[in-house]
Amino acid sequence: MNLGDAKGPQVTIRSIDHERKQLSFILWNCDLAVANALRRIMMAEVPTMAIDLVDIEQNSSVLVDEMLSHRLGLIPLTSTNIRDITYTRDCNCAEYCQNCSVVLTLNVRCDSDTNRDVTARDLISTNPNVTPYFSSEEDAGVVICKLRKGQEVRMRCIAKKGTSKEHAKWSPVAAVAFEYDPHNKLRHTTYWVETDALKEWPVGPNGAEEVAPGPDDPFDYKAKPEKFYFVVEGTGVMDPRDIVEKALMLVHAKVVFVVQDLQKLKW
Amino acid sequence: MPPPSAELLGRGRGSSAIETDVKARDDLRFINKPLGDPVNSLEDKWRLVPAFLQTKGLVKQHIDSFNYFIETELQLIVDANRKIVSDVDPNFWMVFKKIHVAHPQTYDTSRGVNRGITPQECRLRDTTYASSIVVDMEYTRGGQIVKKRNVEIGLMPIMLRSCRCVLVGKNPAEYAEVGECPLDPGGYFVVRGTEKVILIQEQLSKNRIIVETDRMGMIGASVTSSTHEKKSKTNVVYAKGGKTILRHNSLSVDVPVVVIMKAMGIESDLEIAELICGSDDQLLALLSPTLEDSAKLNIATQRQALEFIGSKVKMSIKTQRFGVRRNLYEEAKDLLATTVLAHVPVEMVKGVLYFRPKAVYVALMVRRTLQAIKDGGIVDDRDFVGNKRLELAGDLLSLLFEDLFKSWQATLKRSIDANLKKKNRASQFDASTTVSQTSRFITDGLFRSISSGNWSVKRFKMERSGVTQVLSRLSYVSALGMLTRISSQFEKTRKVSGPRALQTSQWGMLCTSDTPEGEACGLVKNLALMAHITTDSDDKMIRQLAFTLGVEDLNLLTGSELYRSPLTYLVFLNGLLLGVHRQPDRFVGSFRKLRRNGRINPLVSVYRSIPQQTIYISSDGGRVCRPLIIVEKGKSKVTAKEIENIMSGVHKFEDLVRQGRIEYLDVNEETDTNIAITENDIIYDPADDPGLHVFQPLAFNATVRTPTSNTTHLEIAPFTILGAVAGLIPYPHHNQSPRNTYQCAMGKQAMGAIAYNQLNRIDTLLYFLCYPMQPMVKTRTIEMIGFDKLPAGQNAIVAVMSYSGYDIEDALVMNKASLDRGFGRCQVMRKYASMVKAYPNRTYDRLCIPPAEQQNQNQLIGKFDALDIDGLASVGEKVYKDQILMNKQSPMETRSISGDDKSGGGDASSVPFRMTPLVHKYPGTSVVDSVLLTTNEDDQFLIKVRVRQTRRPELGDKFSSRHGQKGVVGIIVNQEDMPFNDYGTCPDIIMNPHGFPSRMTVGKMIELLAGKAGLIKGELQYGTCFGGSKVEDMSRILVENGYNYSGKDYVTSGITGEPLQAYIFFGPVYYQKLKHMVMDKMHARASGPRANLTRQPTEGRSRDGGLRVGEMERDCLIGHGTSSLLIERLLISSDIYDAEVCKDCGLIGGWQGWCQYCKSQSGIVKITVPYACKLLFQELISMNVIPRIKVGELE
Repeated sequence: MNLGDAKGPQVTIRSIDHERKQLSFILWNCDLAVANALRRIMMAEVPTMAIDLVDIEQNSSVLVDEMLSHRLGLIPLTSTNIRDITYTRDCNCAEYCQNCSVVLTLNVRCDSDTNRDVTARDLISTNPNVTPYFSSEEDAGVVICKLRKGQEVRMRCIAKKGTSKEHAKWSPVAAVAFEYDPHNKLRHTTYWVETDALKEWPVGPNGAEEVAPGPDDPFDYKAKPEKFYFVVEGTGVMDPRDIVEKALMLVHAKVVFVVQDLQKLKW
Repeated sequence: MPPPSAELLGRGRGSSAIETDVKARDDLRFINKPLGDPVNSLEDKWRLVPAFLQTKGLVKQHIDSFNYFIETELQLIVDANRKIVSDVDPNFWMVFKKIHVAHPQTYDTSRGVNRGITPQECRLRDTTYASSIVVDMEYTRGGQIVKKRNVEIGLMPIMLRSCRCVLVGKNPAEYAEVGECPLDPGGYFVVRGTEKVILIQEQLSKNRIIVETDRMGMIGASVTSSTHEKKSKTNVVYAKGGKTILRHNSLSVDVPVVVIMKAMGIESDLEIAELICGSDDQLLALLSPTLEDSAKLNIATQRQALEFIGSKVKMSIKTQRFGVRRNLYEEAKDLLATTVLAHVPVEMVKGVLYFRPKAVYVALMVRRTLQAIKDGGIVDDRDFVGNKRLELAGDLLSLLFEDLFKSWQATLKRSIDANLKKKNRASQFDASTTVSQTSRFITDGLFRSISSGNWSVKRFKMERSGVTQVLSRLSYVSALGMLTRISSQFEKTRKVSGPRALQTSQWGMLCTSDTPEGEACGLVKNLALMAHITTDSDDKMIRQLAFTLGVEDLNLLTGSELYRSPLTYLVFLNGLLLGVHRQPDRFVGSFRKLRRNGRINPLVSVYRSIPQQTIYISSDGGRVCRPLIIVEKGKSKVTAKEIENIMSGVHKFEDLVRQGRIEYLDVNEETDTNIAITENDIIYDPADDPGLHVFQPLAFNATVRTPTSNTTHLEIAPFTILGAVAGLIPYPHHNQSPRNTYQCAMGKQAMGAIAYNQLNRIDTLLYFLCYPMQPMVKTRTIEMIGFDKLPAGQNAIVAVMSYSGYDIEDALVMNKASLDRGFGRCQVMRKYASMVKAYPNRTYDRLCIPPAEQQNQNQLIGKFDALDIDGLASVGEKVYKDQILMNKQSPMETRSISGDDKSGGGDASSVPFRMTPLVHKYPGTSVVDSVLLTTNEDDQFLIKVRVRQTRRPELGDKFSSRHGQKGVVGIIVNQEDMPFNDYGTCPDIIMNPHGFPSRMTVGKMIELLAGKAGLIKGELQYGTCFGGSKVEDMSRILVENGYNYSGKDYVTSGITGEPLQAYIFFGPVYYQKLKHMVMDKMHARASGPRANLTRQPTEGRSRDGGLRVGEMERDCLIGHGTSSLLIERLLISSDIYDAEVCKDCGLIGGWQGWCQYCKSQSGIVKITVPYACKLLFQELISMNVIPRIKVGELE
C-alpha cells in the first residue's frame, strides 16, 4: 500500500458539473483496493435521508398504497446536513422523533376537470434541511401519481436516515464511473478483437491523461495502477463533493476502527 | 359504380366482409411516419396489415361467425322448423315467422324496468351477458288466427363486440364509459360472470371426396356427408381381390359398387364402365373384377340390385324407422336416396326418384380410387390445410340452437296437446302462454352448454366436451392467444406424427411457432395474423353463374363425355358435381375476374386441379383464407398511391378488395397461384401469360396448358405467417425454431398489464406488473395487437457473463438495487366471494359484528382483527393467513315449515346459526383491496372481496426473455458488488453465457444489440420477423457513439475494482416475469395432518402435506445402506402402527391382547408395521384372502 509514502494518496479534481451533478476527479498514488473501497462506500454507505414510513390517511388514486409508498421512498430528499440526524436505531425514542426523522406531508385533492399530477413539489417538509430535491426552480419534481377529479391523497411520510446497503433509495449516487490504466498498459484486460484492437476499441476520455505506450515498448510486469479516474454522479441529495468527502471519512473511520481494535489486543 | 350491397354478393347478412369496427387502432396505419412523407410501396406494404386488422379486428373470425349465426342462420333454423300442429286438435297450428335477437337487457327489479347491461356489469355481478330471442308467431285460438309479435322464447348469450353487443361501434372514450377496455378483442361470452371462449375446432372437410389408405392398407375414397338432417360417412374401397366395394354404416356388408350403381338406375355395364373409366383402358382393367363380381351375383336390373341391397340393410336401422318392416325394395331405395351420400340430393322428378347425380358421384368416387391405384397409391393428404374446415362459435351455436329449438318445439307441442285435451276449460286456451312458460328451456340449454363446455347434439349423436374454456386473463397476450387457438378433433393419445407435423400449407394461415409442447403438440394450433375464416354463404347464385360461364350440365352428359379430352374439366361446387367445362383456363379466369369485380362474394374460392382434371368452387364456411395483393402483368396492383390512401384513411382495406387489388385466397386456391414475397421477386414473361390467351378458343384436342411461372400474387407482409403471440418475439427468424415455440408458451405466463379496466375486475386470480414497459425492440405485430399499450415485461440491462457460481443452469443474478427500485415488482389479486342467501323458511344468512374480547389472548393476530362493524373486512386492512374476511353465519335449518315434512322445518325466529365465514387461506400478508356488494340475477346478495399482495422478486422467482430462455433468480447481489461499465452503469440482470451455444438464440443477441443502439440514439428499434433493424445499422450507431460495434463493453469488477479479463456483452433485453413465484410454491413441514384412510401424511401444499420420500429416493437410501434412516422415513415418520397379531393363527386384528379367531389371549404379540400394511391385510381378508403373519423372536 502506498499510504506510507511521503506524499500519500492525492486527489486532483478535474471538473465539477453542477447541472449534471457530476464530479470528476483523479485519485492517485494509492492502491487499487483503496480506490475501489472509496467507490463502494460512496455507493453503499454514505447515509442520506429517504422516506421510510408512510401513514396513509386517504388514498383514492389509482395507485395502490404499497406502490405509492414505494414511489415516495424513491424521491430524493436533500441530505446535506445528514450529520444532524441520527439513525433511528441509535435514537432514544420509541418509534421515531425529531432527532432521527423528518415528517413530510402530502395532501392533494384534485377538483379540476383535468388530471392533476401529484409531484414531489406537493410534499411539505417539517425540516427545511430535508426537502425533496429539485434541480431548478422550473423543475416540476418527480411525479408521484395522477389524480382525477374527486380523487385525493392524504398521507404523512416519515423520512429516516439510512444507507444504500439497506435499500437503494438511500443511495446518494446515480452512478460512479471508475477507471484506471486507459491504455491497458498493465494488461489487466484482454481486448476482444477481430483484427485490430486500436481500431475496434476507441480510447476513452481518460486516455488523454496518460501517455500511450509505443507499439514496441516492453511490458512492465511489475507496474501497478496509480491513477484512478472517478466520475461521481449524484442523485441531487448531496453535492458530489460531499459524497466523496463523507465517503473518505467513512474509509478513515473504518481504518480507525481497525486501529482501535488492534490497540485493544493484548500481547 | 356503387358498391355492391351485401345481398348482391350472395352472402348472408352478418358476415362482415365490409364492416369497420375497431376505432381504437386508428393510429396504426400511419404509425412512425408523418403524413406527407414519401411512401415506398416496397417498404410500406406492411401498412396494409394494420388496415386489415382495423376492419377485421384480431378475432374477426369469432365475431363474424357469431354475427352470421344471429343475422342469418337463426332465421334459417326457424324457417326449417316453423310449424307446430297438434295431434289432438286438427284445427290447431302455430307458426314461427321472424326471429330476432335483441340487444342485451336485464330486468331491474328495484325500478321495475328493463335496462341495458354491459359486459363489465355481468362480470362483476356473476350474471350472463345475454339478450332475448324474440319471434313473431301466428297460431289459432278457438277459431281465430292470432298474430303476436316479439314473443320471447329464451335468452341468447351475446358475444362481446358482435353485432348485438353494446360495444359495437363505440370509440375508446365510450368504451371507458361502459367500463370496458378498448384493446380487449372481444369474441367471447360472459356466462354467469365467467368469460368463456368457444375454441375454434378443426375438422376434416365435410362433403368432399378424400382418397386415403385405410387401416388395413386399402386405398379408398371416402366422403363424410353432412346436411342439416343427416351425417354419414360413405367409403368406396378397392378391396382385396381387386373388387371395388361401397361401405356404409347402415349396410351390414360391403356391396360392390356396380350393384350400387345398378340400384341407382344405371343398369348397363357399358354405361357404368364409361361413367367410371371414361376411355381409360387401365382403369377399366382395374374395374373389371368388380363388374364380374356383380354379374356373378346375378344382378342385372335396378330392382334386383335394390332388393339385394335391401336385404343387407342393418336391422337396427330398419326397425328404428316407423317400426314396421317395409319391403326390401322400398327400404333400399329410401336408404340410397337419403342416407348414402346424404349431401347429394336425390329429387323427385315426376314421381320418380332421380338418382343419376348420385350415381355419377359414386362413379366419381370409384374413379378417384382406381386412379390412385393406377398412379401407384398416391392418395390425398388429410393433413393438408385445404382439406380442413374450422368450426367456429357461430357454427357450434347454430348446431346447439337447432337441437334445442326442435326439442323445445316438441315439449311445446306436448304441453299444448295436454292443454287442448282438457275438456271444459274456464277460458279459451291461449298457446302463447305455453310459449312464455317454457322459455327457460332454450335459455338453460344454451347457458349450460357454454358454461360447462359440453356440447351434446342428439341429432348427430354429437357429444363433445371441452368446447368452451375460461378465457385466461393472466396477461393480455394470453387472452389474445386463447381467442386465436384452434383445437383439433384428433385424440391426443394416438401416436401419429402426421397431424402434428408442420404442414407447408399452413403458411400464412396458421402460426408456425405457436403450439404447446407435450401431448397436444401440433394438434392445438393458432391462427396467423392475417388469417380469416369464411362463413357459410348461399351458393345458388354461384351455381347459376357457373352455368352461365359455360358449364355443361351433368344431367345432359354421358359417361364418355365427362372424360372426353384432357381439357374437359369437371366442375364442383361445394363438393357437388355440377358438370363439365371444356376450357378450364377460361372458366377459372372469368370466374376470378368476376370475383375481383365484386360480382361474387370475395371469399368464394375457385381453383383448378390438373391431376384430377377438376375445377373446385367453394363457398362454404370454415375455410381459412388470407388476403394477398393481386399481380397483373408483373405489376402489383397495390402501389404507393393505394398505400397512401390507406394511411390517410381515404380508403379502407375492404375498398382495395372491392377494387380488385387485393383478394382473399383459401389454401386450395393458393396451390393454383404463384406468390411472390417481395416486389423484387415478381417474375413476368408475357409469352407465358394466360391472361392474354384466355379468350382465345382452344382446339378440341389441345393439350392442357401447364401452369405458368408468372407471378400472380404478392404477399402483403411475410411476418404475418406468425400469429399474435409469436409476433412478440424480436428477430424470431434468427432463433432456433423450438425456442420460438417455447416463448409462445411463456409469453402467456408473463405478468403485465391485462386491460385498461384491470383494476375494476374481480377475477379469481390476477397478476399485474407494477411498472410494465413497452419493449425497446418492438415488432410490427406488437404495435398492431396493442402489446405496447398493455405490455408484460421490463427492459433489463443484461450483462452476459458468469458471476458467483449462483448462475448455473440458467439461473440469473439480480441487482438488489434494481429490485429496490421496482424491477419485477408485481401485484397479485385474489377473489373471495360469498352469497348472502334467503332460505325457504324465511331465514337468512347474516353478517355479524365480530365477537368482542372472545379471542385467545395468546394469539398475536386475532381471527377477527380485519373486520369492520358490518362483519366485512375493511378496505386497506392487512390480513394474515386464517383471518376472517367476512363473518357470515348461516341458519342450520333452511327447509320450509309449510312443506309436507313438518318435523324438520324450523321456525324462522328460533333456528340456530352456525359460522360460515370467508377465510383468507393463503400464506403471507395480503391487503383488502376492495369489497363489492351486489346482487346476482336471482336477486341474491353477493359479496366479493378482493385481496392484494405486492411482491418483489425473490430467490427462485422465474424470469424469461422473449426467446424461450427462462431462468430463476439464483442470487441477489448488492449494487456495489455488481460489475459496471465505463459509465458506472450496473446491469440489472447477469445472465450466464452458457445459455447461448446450445440454444442458438441469436435473436436474443441481436435484440440486445438493437436495444443498446436504440438506447443511445433515443428511439425504439424493430425486430420484426424477416425484417427489423439491421445489425449493420445498429453496430454503426454504437460505433458512432464510442462503443464497440459488437455490443461488448469494458467492464470492471465491483468487488476488486479490476477490469474483467474479458469484454462483456452488455445491453438491454426485454425480460418477462413469469407467474411461477416461490411464494406460491414454497412448502415444508415437520409434522402435520394425516390422511384418514391410510394415516399417512397428506399430500400437497394446499393440505399442508409432507414431502414424499419416493421410490427413487428410497432406492438411493437402500444403495447407501442407511437402514435406520429408511425405517425412520418410511415408517416412524409416516404411518407407524402397533398391530396385534396372533402367534397361533397368524391373523392380524387382535384387540387388547385377545384374538377373536382363536378365542384366546395366549398368542397375541405386538408388531410395528405401517398402517397401510395393516389396511392391506384387512382389505385382503375382506376378499377372502388370508394373509398370515409368522412371528418369531428378534435375533
